[in-house]
Amino acid sequence: MIEVKNITKKYGNFFAVNDISFEVKDNEIVGFLGPNGAGKSTTMNMIAGYIEPTEGKIFVNGKEISKEPNKVKRQIGYMPENTPLYQELTVREFVNYMADLKRVKRKEKKEKVDKVLEQTGLKEVEKKQIRKLSRGYKQRVSLAGALIGNPEVLILDEPTVGLDPKQITEIRELIKKLGKKHTVILSSHILSEVSQICEKVIIINKGKILAVDTPENLEEQFKEENSIYVTVEDKKNNIKKVCEKIRGFKERKLIKENSDGTKQYILTSSKKVDLRKEVFDLFPKNNINILELKTTEITLEDAFLKLINAKEKEMKEKEEKEKQEKAKKEEELNKLPKKERKQAIKQDKKEIKRKEKEEFDKQWEENKRIKKEEKEKKKNAKASKKETTKNNNKQKVTEKRTPKKEKEENKSKGGKK
Amino acid sequence: MWAIIKKEFKSYFLSPIGYIYIGIFLLMCSIFFYLDIFAYMSTDFTYMFGSASTVLTFIVPLITMRMFSEERKNGTEQLLLTSPRSVTSIVLGKFIAAALVVLVSVAATLMYYAILCYFGEPQLGKSLVAILGFALLALAYISFGMFASSLTENQIIAAVISVAFFMISWFLPGFSNAFVNFSLMDAFYMSFVNGTISIQNLVLLLSFTVLFIIFTIMVIQRRKSVK
Repeated sequence: MIEVKNITKKYGNFFAVNDISFEVKDNEIVGFLGPNGAGKSTTMNMIAGYIEPTEGKIFVNGKEISKEPNKVKRQIGYMPENTPLYQELTVREFVNYMADLKRVKRKEKKEKVDKVLEQTGLKEVEKKQIRKLSRGYKQRVSLAGALIGNPEVLILDEPTVGLDPKQITEIRELIKKLGKKHTVILSSHILSEVSQICEKVIIINKGKILAVDTPENLEEQFKEENSIYVTVEDKKNNIKKVCEKIRGFKERKLIKENSDGTKQYILTSSKKVDLRKEVFDLFPKNNINILELKTTEITLEDAFLKLINAKEKEMKEKEEKEKQEKAKKEEELNKLPKKERKQAIKQDKKEIKRKEKEEFDKQWEENKRIKKEEKEKKKNAKASKKETTKNNNKQKVTEKRTPKKEKEENKSKGGKK
Repeated sequence: MWAIIKKEFKSYFLSPIGYIYIGIFLLMCSIFFYLDIFAYMSTDFTYMFGSASTVLTFIVPLITMRMFSEERKNGTEQLLLTSPRSVTSIVLGKFIAAALVVLVSVAATLMYYAILCYFGEPQLGKSLVAILGFALLALAYISFGMFASSLTENQIIAAVISVAFFMISWFLPGFSNAFVNFSLMDAFYMSFVNGTISIQNLVLLLSFTVLFIIFTIMVIQRRKSVK
């Protein structure tokens, strides 16, 4: 299980990742989706422990990565972007080296390396220098490096980039198989891939999470309209009239005219109306023969684009509003005489400083509170431990005492007898 | 750490760098052996090291320049830093591997001693002290070269930084007496070549080595939060 809590990564004033939190459960395959430069790789690098977040915490199986890096890194197999490899080594040497780095035991090493090489289909090239391999094979070597040592969590950064279609399907199958026993996080900007492999999708843009959901739900969520393809034979050109009779009808578009006189249209209506029934009902009555009818599907691609566009619009509007407000303020200031203007500017600055101070104080106090709570928790845990040990001791003592007492009692009883 | 040492040492000889380093070093040693010792019919083995130490300035960067900059450029740094190994063990592993290459080459100079033995009776103790000093000087150079390599992802820049630093530390005492006690080259020249081990110079060389190993660890550690 991976918990990511409010992580932020800042480069100067630029937010590569801005306050992201999410969870990945055991044996789940999660896909990171986003355009280039969205912060996918940065987030993955932070989970793998390659870079440290400016703020926030990351837990892998309950252990924090910045506090116990070596324990956490042991559970993670990381396949970085662009498949960095030691070009001068052979495939087997490389996987051996990765096994050594990950502290695979010497006795099990050969067996495990063999297994991974077989899994990734590298057996035939194991003695070749990595420099001389093709791109697809290099990708597999990188994957093999991530798999060795049987880590519980796999982080794969764009695992199928630059592969041919056959290799892509092979790698996808492999990832699906791995997902049964491992927790997998992968990133991609190919949407069909993510919807095929992943159980959960995290859409991210400009360092912020836009949506976390299953691929199916995302598609469902963005279905605003019902639309269908129909191919009809319409000798009397009735279709225009008929369509107007349908409830909730919105739009009719001609797609193509076939050589045999049939025409294909896209019909759209509002979400509530099921167009198919109406079309089946009305068209034959008006001498229109339906030859084909099927629903169109909103793909994940559409959902993705819509989400990103909507967010970008929102951001732009916000920025514009801020700009307008600023301009207004400046105009007002310009109207004032010099002295007052200066004073007004000073006051503004003071207020900004005051606000900053307040925020800082708030954070400070919160941090204090959190620390206190943690301390108390620790204390309580210690106290409860002590109590339990004490109780155990007491029990032992009582246990020790009881036989004596019984004996004494027996004695006294015997005496009485 | 053992895994890193093994791989790094192997890498030096999978690429031509290791052979080039040892080749140039022994070639120059042979030349100095001929010019400084053979030509004067001397049996003082230490003369050779006095001259050979100047060569170190130019060839140690050959092996140190690739240590971290190559990894950074190829991105293999990601594999190292995401493995369950501490930065300290990674840096030490690389340092020891480079040190081994240099020590092998230094050990090879013993063959000149053997040649001298054939012609006369060189002083063993004095020679060993010179070799020890030479090895310590080389270690100090490696440590700084590694530091320079951790600063940049361009190998040539790393090499230039180290050569420039070695040259400066070489010539500085000429400008002012204040620097005499801090020059690595002088620390070697003043005592070890003459067959004496001075505590002051020993400490200078060793502490310099340790200092720049620690600096390298700090640079790598810090890059995690900056990168």
